[in-house]
Amino acid sequence: MATTIEQSEKTKAEPELIGLLAEFDDPQALIDASMKVRDAGYRNWDTHTPFPLHGIDEAMGIKFTILPWIVAACGLTGGTIAVGMQYWMNAVDYPFMISGKPLFSLPACIPIIFELSVLLAAFGAFFGMLGLNQLPKLYNPLFKSDAFRRVTNDRFFISMDASDAKFSEIDSGEFLNSLNPISVEECWSDVSSPKLPRNLVLGLSLVGVIMLLPPALVAYKRSTTTNTPRIHIIPDMDFQPSLKAQNTTNLFPDGREIRPSIKGAIPRGQFKDDNIPFYYGLKELPEDRDVVGIALQDEKKADAKKADAKKPVEAKAADAKPAAGKPAVVDAAAEAAKKLDKLPWVTEFPMPVTEKMMARGKERFRIYCSVCHGLSGDGDGLVSLRAMELLQGTWVKPASYHTDNVRKQPVGRLFNTISNGVRKMPGYSAQIPPEDRWAIVLYLRALQKSRYTDANTLKDDEKSKLRDTK
Amino acid sequence: MASVTTKPIDTTTIEVPGQRAPLVLGSPDYGTVTESVCRLAESKTPMSFYVALGISASLMGMLFGLIGYLIITGVGVWGNRSPVFWGWPIVNFVFWVGIGHAGTLISAILFLFRQNWRTGINRAAEAMTIFAVICAGVFPGIHIGRVWLAYWLFPIPNQMEMWPNFRSPLLWDVFAVSTYATVSLLFWYMGMIPDLATLRDRATGKIQQFAYGLFSLGWNGSSRHWHRYERAYLLLAALAAPLVLSVHTIVSFDFAVSQLPGWHTTIFPPYFVAGAVFSGFAMVLTLMIPARSICGIEDLLTDRHLENMTKVIIATGSMVGYAYAMEFFVAWYSGNRYETFAFINRAFGPYAWAYWIMVSCNVISPQLFWIKKIRTTPWMIFVVCIFVNIGMWFERFVITVTSLSRDFLPSSWGYFKPTIVDVLMLIGSFGLFLTLFLLFCKFLPMVAMAEVKSVMPRPGGQGDH
Ligand code: HEC
Repeated sequence: MATTIEQSEKTKAEPELIGLLAEFDDPQALIDASMKVRDAGYRNWDTHTPFPLHGIDEAMGIKFTILPWIVAACGLTGGTIAVGMQYWMNAVDYPFMISGKPLFSLPACIPIIFELSVLLAAFGAFFGMLGLNQLPKLYNPLFKSDAFRRVTNDRFFISMDASDAKFSEIDSGEFLNSLNPISVEECWSDVSSPKLPRNLVLGLSLVGVIMLLPPALVAYKRSTTTNTPRIHIIPDMDFQPSLKAQNTTNLFPDGREIRPSIKGAIPRGQFKDDNIPFYYGLKELPEDRDVVGIALQDEKKADAKKADAKKPVEAKAADAKPAAGKPAVVDAAAEAAKKLDKLPWVTEFPMPVTEKMMARGKERFRIYCSVCHGLSGDGDGLVSLRAMELLQGTWVKPASYHTDNVRKQPVGRLFNTISNGVRKMPGYSAQIPPEDRWAIVLYLRALQKSRYTDANTLKDDEKSKLRDTK
Repeated sequence: MASVTTKPIDTTTIEVPGQRAPLVLGSPDYGTVTESVCRLAESKTPMSFYVALGISASLMGMLFGLIGYLIITGVGVWGNRSPVFWGWPIVNFVFWVGIGHAGTLISAILFLFRQNWRTGINRAAEAMTIFAVICAGVFPGIHIGRVWLAYWLFPIPNQMEMWPNFRSPLLWDVFAVSTYATVSLLFWYMGMIPDLATLRDRATGKIQQFAYGLFSLGWNGSSRHWHRYERAYLLLAALAAPLVLSVHTIVSFDFAVSQLPGWHTTIFPPYFVAGAVFSGFAMVLTLMIPARSICGIEDLLTDRHLENMTKVIIATGSMVGYAYAMEFFVAWYSGNRYETFAFINRAFGPYAWAYWIMVSCNVISPQLFWIKKIRTTPWMIFVVCIFVNIGMWFERFVITVTSLSRDFLPSSWGYFKPTIVDVLMLIGSFGLFLTLFLLFCKFLPMVAMAEVKSVMPRPGGQGDH
């Protein structure tokens, strides 16, 4: 008692008496005393024990807490959130179809409903308890008492608040003394400055400023532009050692990253040998399959030779005849054309020719071929005209279909031209399925025929049709 | 102090029908309980503690180093290869989650059943639960490969405008394990608040006063607070009890909901839960037996506690054994030849060695506890529990790997080989677990003092409540 008063006299502000504290060393004594305090009509008072003392609730007249209701409400909220969340996320906002099951089915939701109910109820129990107890409350005037430190060890206390209507310093003190405590102590309010120490304030503000730096940097970077590539904090799979199309590598002798298909390999669903005329335009396959489509293949080989020539070992040889590449291509192409002439091309269409097929051929021709060859096959397509206008030296004018050479070619050969290309013309087998290629050949033949047919050999109704359409 | 013991001191530690052994030995009063628990945190730390901490912390460091290596290099550093994509990491996950079951079970279920003997062990067991769940959480976290995308596991609004699939047991697992971790942490922490206040009130150093003061939230032992506190504790226990059972049930769904022979069985949920409790209790004993003699708290953690726990182990061990037998019976009785093959392959196939390690450790060794001598001799309990720990790890290995390595397409069958990284990560996870446990022993109240005091006979011979 005395020490508390002496200490407080040193400080300027007047300390106030805020309560009395009676100490007991026996739980039963506390319970007995509590009943007397309760019966005396005090309201703002409490007992403090190192462990939950059974029987104290009745002795003090503590009302049953509303905590269970808080917990129940939180649990229900959790369950409701879980149902709503799962329904909205998987059935409405991002419908998730899995093995044809319904988008929303309650049984699959039960585990998460259960978990979220428990989670929120547990939060309710924990934070509800703290809230109702007004904790955390790190400062409490009772903590100034040295004796009170044993409340968490082995002593039992009654604290009586000065704010109680019945409280008076002398009477209440006497009353507490009459309960046979070990001691009764006065509690005074704290008058020391509530200000934080200077260094702490400085330190905390420094930490605060430093913590603002990263978000500020992010905000700055987001609102400005830069010429340098973005920073890959997390590289994910942005950089991979794998080879890509259109790039070069020295892993393969031809220097290309994209690999041509392996000789003799048959892609799934592309077995063609059961219908050679249909798929190749040939009566039978030649010994060396590469001859089909050889025009392009040979050029590739020539390119590969050029690539080889660039290698340092052969550099000198290449120096000796600088134009070695070009003649090689020409020679190879001429040779290839000769080889193609000799092949057993089919001369008849390998399927019945119909009106429908002709219409299809016309349509496909206009899509795929007319850009270069022109609508009537004279080699004056838009792409070609434009290329000529740009005066690009490398442009080869598309062949006209109406030359003797092309007119004499059997249908199989024309089919092969579309499939595998010829000299500067690329193949179209990847874009156009075989039926359509045959349809195009049919239309091509019709275009050729239209140039060389004597009008007088036409029937009358056909002649009138000619006049009608321009 | 105030303790007046009228009866002669009861030092029985063994249960005799009709007479209960005391929960606390010697002639304790409230002060000595406080003293013996707080002494650990307050007295000078022995050298052996630093040695133990050094070893386990270096193992933990190794784990983190390996995780760094894994993240930089990719999951190829593990032995997970087609067809076994759930190798050691998932085995470790299930193993640790299982261990994490004992703590909350002891705290919650034994609390609800008013088993007062739990007060001596619940704090340490709860701590163990939380540390085991932390170890468990590490593995699925790094198993996803690109760890920075781990947030995809949770329903967080994102730039892809996608949501997770709530019909997947793997997502249920995310919710179950994270809820379990959170609730266990709350339960543990809440139980500790009054004891942290004790440490606060006894602390002499400034840092201790500040830290314990902060975490004890200003607890002052008010009876009005205790009233709500006890209610909250009871409610948390009531919530945690079904939660414990749900967690391993849902972990078992990860397997049982798929269609792989050997996994697709309805016995999995109860069987996993029994196994979890079994392994959890074994781990509690493995830790507590050395810890109680090193820390000198044999009076609070008596032989009776140990014996009670061994009885739980016999019960759950027998359930696990029954489940093994039942799996075989159902495989045969179902007439499904894939199922039959999966089980015959388990016991007699390439992983037979693992299967028989599992059976001898899990089914045979706990039966030794029928012998009273073994049940009451700490070192013998310790040895048996080590076997149970080993057996339970192998159980998860057998389930995960045997079924996966023999999938529906015989051409893709394979034999799982772990890499050195797999092995070191498992060892490292023990380092993480032990480091956390040692720090707990050093800085936090290892025994729930307030609870022990509330079950002690009151001075003045009022008897326990
Ligand atoms: C990219 C422009 C281009 C397209 C599109 C194109 N060609 Fe060609 N075509 C050419 C060029 C260029 C030549 C001449 C090649 C040479 O002489 O090197 C040619 C030549 C031809 C020849 C003559 C072959 C020979 O043996 O002389 C035929 C037949 C032919 N094309 C048909 C077609 C058909 C049918 C299509 C539609 C599927 C088509 N072309 C699409 C550019 C094209």
